[in-house]
Amino acid sequence: MKMKNIVSILFIGLLFTGCEKTIDLDYKSNQSRIIIQGNITNGAGPYYVKITKSIPLKDTGSYPVIDDAVVTISDDAGNSEVLTAGGNGTYHTNALAGVEGRTYTLTVQAGNQTYSAQSTMPKRVPFDSIRVETHIVTGETEYSIIPVYPDPLTKGNNYRFVLWLNNKLINQHLIQNDEVRNGVANSVRLEINDDDIEFKPGDSVTLQMQCIDKNVALYYRTLALISDSGPGGGTTPNNPPNNISNGALGLFSAYTVETKSVVMP
Amino acid sequence: MYKKLIVTSLLLLLSTTLLLAQTKYTVSGTVKQKSSGETLIGVTVMVVEKPTIGVITNEYGFYSVSLPEGNYTLRFSYVGYKQELVPVKLESNVTVSISLVDESSLREVVISSKKDNDNLTKASMGTEVLNMKEAAKIPVVFGEKDLVKTIQLLPGVKSNGEGSNGFSVRGGATDQNLILLDEAPVYNASHLLGFFSSFNSDAIKDATIIKGNSPAQYGGRLSSVLDVKMKEGNNKDYQVSGGLGLISSRLTIEGPIQRDRSSFMISGRRTYADLFARLSSDMKDVKLYFYDLNAKANWAINSKNKLYFSGYFGKDVFSVSTLFGSDWGNATATLRWNSILNSKLFSNTSLIYSNYDFNVGFKTNTSAMNFNSHIRDLNLKQDFTWYANANNTVRMGFNIIHHTITPTKAEGTDIVNNKKSRKGLESAVYVSNSWKVSDVLNIDYGLRFSIYNVLGGGLYNIYKGNKLVDSIKLADGKFGKNYYNLEPRISASYRLNSSATIKVGYARNTQSLHLMSNSTGGSPTDAWIGNSYNIKPEIADQFSVGFSKSLNNNAFELNTEAYYKTMANQIDYRDGADINTVPDIESELLFGKGRAYGIEVLLRKKKGILTGWIGYTLSKTERQINGINSNQWYDAKQDRTHDLSIVGIYTLSERWTLSGTFIYNTGNAVTFPTGKYVLNDMVIYQYGTRNADRMPATHRLDISATYERPARKRWQGSWSFGLYNVYGRRNPFAITFKENKTNPQKIDAVQTSLFQWVPSVTYNFKF
Repeated sequence: MKMKNIVSILFIGLLFTGCEKTIDLDYKSNQSRIIIQGNITNGAGPYYVKITKSIPLKDTGSYPVIDDAVVTISDDAGNSEVLTAGGNGTYHTNALAGVEGRTYTLTVQAGNQTYSAQSTMPKRVPFDSIRVETHIVTGETEYSIIPVYPDPLTKGNNYRFVLWLNNKLINQHLIQNDEVRNGVANSVRLEINDDDIEFKPGDSVTLQMQCIDKNVALYYRTLALISDSGPGGGTTPNNPPNNISNGALGLFSAYTVETKSVVMP
Repeated sequence: MYKKLIVTSLLLLLSTTLLLAQTKYTVSGTVKQKSSGETLIGVTVMVVEKPTIGVITNEYGFYSVSLPEGNYTLRFSYVGYKQELVPVKLESNVTVSISLVDESSLREVVISSKKDNDNLTKASMGTEVLNMKEAAKIPVVFGEKDLVKTIQLLPGVKSNGEGSNGFSVRGGATDQNLILLDEAPVYNASHLLGFFSSFNSDAIKDATIIKGNSPAQYGGRLSSVLDVKMKEGNNKDYQVSGGLGLISSRLTIEGPIQRDRSSFMISGRRTYADLFARLSSDMKDVKLYFYDLNAKANWAINSKNKLYFSGYFGKDVFSVSTLFGSDWGNATATLRWNSILNSKLFSNTSLIYSNYDFNVGFKTNTSAMNFNSHIRDLNLKQDFTWYANANNTVRMGFNIIHHTITPTKAEGTDIVNNKKSRKGLESAVYVSNSWKVSDVLNIDYGLRFSIYNVLGGGLYNIYKGNKLVDSIKLADGKFGKNYYNLEPRISASYRLNSSATIKVGYARNTQSLHLMSNSTGGSPTDAWIGNSYNIKPEIADQFSVGFSKSLNNNAFELNTEAYYKTMANQIDYRDGADINTVPDIESELLFGKGRAYGIEVLLRKKKGILTGWIGYTLSKTERQINGINSNQWYDAKQDRTHDLSIVGIYTLSERWTLSGTFIYNTGNAVTFPTGKYVLNDMVIYQYGTRNADRMPATHRLDISATYERPARKRWQGSWSFGLYNVYGRRNPFAITFKENKTNPQKIDAVQTSLFQWVPSVTYNFKF
């Protein structure tokens, strides 16, 4: 719920002489950390793992990659595979299958350190359609994007949505769950921060729905809360809790995936 | 064990001091304002023949002094009023009630001590009294005079941020301030997201802030008490006063119901920015306003008994067409019965109701959802003041509060999850004594015993390391977990010479209600929660030392205080907690400790055509919570190293008054990203130590000018012109990090500022 967001933005925007400017800040020096990104989906393989390192906030250069790691993925059905390095920090599977309900374990050996992570692919919930509602607010059209899907009766489902506007990936973390409404068709809009993006009639909107496990949802929800800057700022930001051991940043996620597109009315 | 020792020694101290003194007769009475019949709080009553004996009137204008038989002269003095000398022949207990004449032409201090050298003779520490009449001259944004904005200019009291009505006292959190309006707790003291306080200054008589060393009759919050008292209403004549501003207007009507015996006061206020906004077609579906209403009536049953009723109702409304709507507000009601049981014993019984609720609703074409939360109190208070003898004033009493707390609860289409209300009983008994040991030594000491009972009617979960280990279903009316705390309080002042005093103090405070907020500022969505099986009462121990000196024949007054405070059972969220949707908020909490220390300096100029003060605070406040910042100590977000306020009021002529304030403070402790990485094609920020960074410093100059028109018959009018942020400083409100539009590889830090040059004009009238 981004009530706070709506209130503050409208309030400040409408009534006051609020202004924004880019400022120069003194940043603390940063310790470069290992970043592990691993994805397994219910679609066809190969699946990829990418290993990079973080860089200082002010840098505009490229991210260092790690190409000499030993990467293994196994599942709870007894399959295990060492991934093939493909250069530029990527590693891919050859035979492993992404199956709903299975728990996958990722192990990365890099620079004398071992990192491991686990993720369970939830049962797929079908992505029925995208519903778009429009409201005229302060003379402008406000779009509500509602992903329609039948949430199953079992509790504890988590969903992540990835949004492309006119084929451009939008860097926002959109998470829904069945904590408040369980077992019904979803009718809740995605809380898209439209500060910097603007929807227009005729825009193409693509939405990827991912059924994700609890830990992956916590990671993205934390990111979403951090970027939710109400009056005086959102939650105190930090590195979101992730599912990789030994201090690596990043995320390993086994998820189901389904993508739909719509043209804005 | 040590608690027992403290109790025993305090009781011993109390009994010996009372037995030692011997008295003959008592003179007592009530002091009022001549023109309105309003009782005066804090009037100094001195015995001229015995200059070491003096008392001040209590919250209801009552005083009592016991003296051996003889002839005396009583001197009644109060800042802004003409001093009165009254001869008394003491052969039996007598009543001397008098009215003081208001010298409205007299412009003294903005925040006035009750007496020229009051800071030297009282043991109380960390206490400031605000006089609303003079606070009105301090410039504020939109020209709406504001009590809370004024106290934020005092050392040790820090605003949560520009435009915010939340404040932090001596390193404490925003929820650690007990805000009382005629004894009723106000749970959210702000309007319009904090730009205005709940207190309509026209309806306020006076306000006192006590920074941690509160007397034993106050309790329930760690950091401070802000005790606000409403006007009683003129019992001599009808009077209408009000103000017209750019943003809001006010109107107050007061007068006698029965001349000299009973009176009433009704005061209302409403903002109307939205009415203008609605004229433009774009804004016609937006509603944004607040209003509040204060009402008070009192009735003197006879010379010994008086009844008071006071009520407050305030509401904020914000909605955008049918898509989104929210409202929130406080309601309080207080019924009080004052009784002078005998010339030495004053009793006050109060029955108090207090409610805060918040609603927010979202609607789409196919679904509706509403979140709401509330806290509702029923409160009984009994307080006795016993003027035992000239050197001892004893206060004792009890307080029982029944809380009903509903956490943020979701309702609407398809909602299956629902949270239940919880109940708790918060009670306390207390006793304290103000002991004038000698001409130079004053000691205030007291003890408060506080109890919190978790009451049944809901399910309580027990967590260990955020894992559910047990659940307890408590039947309705059943007592669950009980918490007991002893809170000793002591402060002493020792007068070094006629112009200098040193003070020391210690106080323990506990807090059983906690505000759950996951935003840096305050938000109306923040919900209160009581103690439970996991949440223990917060405890603070504060040690302070102070030095006061009056300079230049009381024209200047210097107060400095240093404090060290430790806090236990502090609460924070664990990472990623979404307080609105999580089924049990308690599963998301972490507990730890805090410490705060600092030095406060306040130099006031109290006399002359230029008055005002300079307040400076050097301080530090930190937290240590397992599960946050690798279990290391970190700066609390409200930690600010330097905090400076300068207030000046210059009386140019009989008609014109100029005033200005300047503030400077170190930015809040915040966490900025230190690095970045890419995950699934999205840039993610990397963070280091919690709150290791700082917002840029805030500084600002505000000025205002007040013109008082010559009175025409009964009509008195005045114009106030203000300019907020004179030199247009862009103070940081928030800093966000964004990808640069032209070069997404580059991350920009974007600062949002609120107010640059806000002019205001207000017309105030009275007839």
